[in-house]
Amino acid sequence: MKLKIRSDIYENLMMAFGTLRANKLRSSLTVVGVVIGVWTVMAIASIISGIDEAVKKAIESFGTRSIIISKYDPGIRVGRRSREERMRKDLTYEDAMALRALPSIETSVPFLDITNNFFGAKLNVSANGKTSTAVRLQGTLPDYERAGVMVIGEGRWFSQFENDTNQDVCTIGSSVAENFFPYQSPVGQTISIGGNDFRVIGVFEPREQLGGGGSGSNDQNNVIYIPYNVAHKLKPDASQVTILAIAQAGHMDEALDQVTDMLRVRRGVSFKEPNDFGISTAESIISQFRSITAGVAVAMVAISSVGLMVGGIGVMNIMLVSVTERTREIGTRKAIGARRKDILWQFLIEAATLTGTGGLVGLLLGWVTTLLIRLFVPSYVPLWAPVMGFAASVGIGLIFGLWPAWKAARLDPIEALRYE
Amino acid sequence: MSEALLEMESPTTEEANGVTEETSIVNGNGLDAEALERGDLLAHDGVPAALISMRDIWRTYEMGTEKLHALRGVSFDVQRGEYLAIIGPSGSGKSTLMNLIGCLDTPSQGRYWINSKLVSEMEDDELARIRNQEIGFVFQTFNLLARATALHNVELPLIYAGVSAADRHERAQRSLRAVELGDRMTHRPNELSGGQRQRVAIARALVNNPSILLADEPTGALDSKTSIEIMNLFEKLHSEGNTIIVVTHEHDIAARAHRVISIRDGNIESDERIK
Repeated sequence: MKLKIRSDIYENLMMAFGTLRANKLRSSLTVVGVVIGVWTVMAIASIISGIDEAVKKAIESFGTRSIIISKYDPGIRVGRRSREERMRKDLTYEDAMALRALPSIETSVPFLDITNNFFGAKLNVSANGKTSTAVRLQGTLPDYERAGVMVIGEGRWFSQFENDTNQDVCTIGSSVAENFFPYQSPVGQTISIGGNDFRVIGVFEPREQLGGGGSGSNDQNNVIYIPYNVAHKLKPDASQVTILAIAQAGHMDEALDQVTDMLRVRRGVSFKEPNDFGISTAESIISQFRSITAGVAVAMVAISSVGLMVGGIGVMNIMLVSVTERTREIGTRKAIGARRKDILWQFLIEAATLTGTGGLVGLLLGWVTTLLIRLFVPSYVPLWAPVMGFAASVGIGLIFGLWPAWKAARLDPIEALRYE
Repeated sequence: MSEALLEMESPTTEEANGVTEETSIVNGNGLDAEALERGDLLAHDGVPAALISMRDIWRTYEMGTEKLHALRGVSFDVQRGEYLAIIGPSGSGKSTLMNLIGCLDTPSQGRYWINSKLVSEMEDDELARIRNQEIGFVFQTFNLLARATALHNVELPLIYAGVSAADRHERAQRSLRAVELGDRMTHRPNELSGGQRQRVAIARALVNNPSILLADEPTGALDSKTSIEIMNLFEKLHSEGNTIIVVTHEHDIAARAHRVISIRDGNIESDERIK
């Protein structure tokens, strides 16, 4: 019995393909909606997954033990910051030093960003006759090395001693090295920052970043680190301190609690009030990003299901036409022994073949699109996208083909044979 | 009867029991007495032994409030191996009778047996099964699937009978060879002449080894020369033991049969053996 059903489906499939071939133009116009629906799912799914994967990698390169503390709340913000946020105190060097005392914290370093000052004037960076204002300038402490985010490729990090004695030394990102010292090793060269000459003592390995990185100030390899004290001296009015705390291995949760508690005490936040600083981890940033992509995915499903619905109605329409056109055929089939369910299956499978073929075309287009997208942003097709796309297209055929097929199955053979 | 029972599969044995029950009602109606009067043979329990048995068949159509009697109490038997023509002018009830014989329709009243199976009480899907196994239809306009090859057209009844692909192929080829179309198997209907198309249709009708070959105006769409060809083919099939019923309004076509039933106003006007 099982074998019989399978051969029925095979026969029906062959007949369905025959019908599609015979009505090429009509069939292709009918499934345009389904093709576009599946295509959209594929394309958007691959973009989302690609970006998601890239973000995950980029953020994980932050270090899974890293806790980033900033004055403002992390995350994507629309419009102006709230008054409360704008009124917050800056974090300080002393905060960073205090966190080092916590048992769950391995070390903690402050960053002083001197790229911008309050009035927007930027420090020029120049060497070898080139000048740029797009380089990010950060003062920090050599312990930053232990976060494992920036890895020295050539030369060395500056030392605590160099920080304490205000040495004008710097370590530079790979993009800085390429821009200013394209034909020579930068180590030992001199680079001018805000008119002061700095000796380059180390160059970082290129850091993996989102979407292959941006250019200019969006490029995370376009960065120069100088000793914290030197940065402070170079730009005494700079106050934007960010703190990176590195938790002891396996103590991330405790570390988060302890850091939060300590900072609340130090900043005088009363028991009832929320934190007046932002705290984030690689994990929290990723999950925040995920909630955005999930929203986009829901919107995508909604949009493409509208496309699929419209496509489905087209399929229903054409199947009704087909049933009417083939009334005599249905009559003949019934006369020679087709039961209702035989006719029902014939038309259901025909509708599903129509939309399934459309789905396959959509998958193919989506796959090609993914390859094209990959030239610009990272993208890959997650397995669920083609599986769901194909299942949805076949399902549309079955659902919207049901009524026409039922109509065909219910035809009276005598009437059907008499139909002109 | 016993042979017919042996051929039946397990589910139809239950039907056979049902038939037995029905028969007692037949006896109660005294219909079998009438049948005996007409000299019909009866198998055990009053189930007719003839291939086709129609007893007091009425077919009534409701047209609004009016009732239209297309058939008014028709009774007759057809034995295995007969070549019967049913003739009558349009509106005589001839087509209604053909639809009933072909199990495309069920009577409003009366009993109809094919091969000892009481088909007048059957549901849609059971009727489809009877059509598939007992009846081979030949239509006036051939009714072949335009996009399918001759071979595929002939295979169609076997698909609905659930015959395996290899078996189907072989039987369809044999059937096409029997109507002398062995060299046209892969042709589509539009590549065949009218007579060839009708022969494909006949091959399709025969492929399931039906009890009855039922032809509705089989030469109605053919020229006279081709008509003669087709009628010769019917004669040959009859001589090979097939039971053939031809429904027509043409007297010269009816004259080829061995028995002619003439229908007028929903009744049998005459029923004569001519050969």
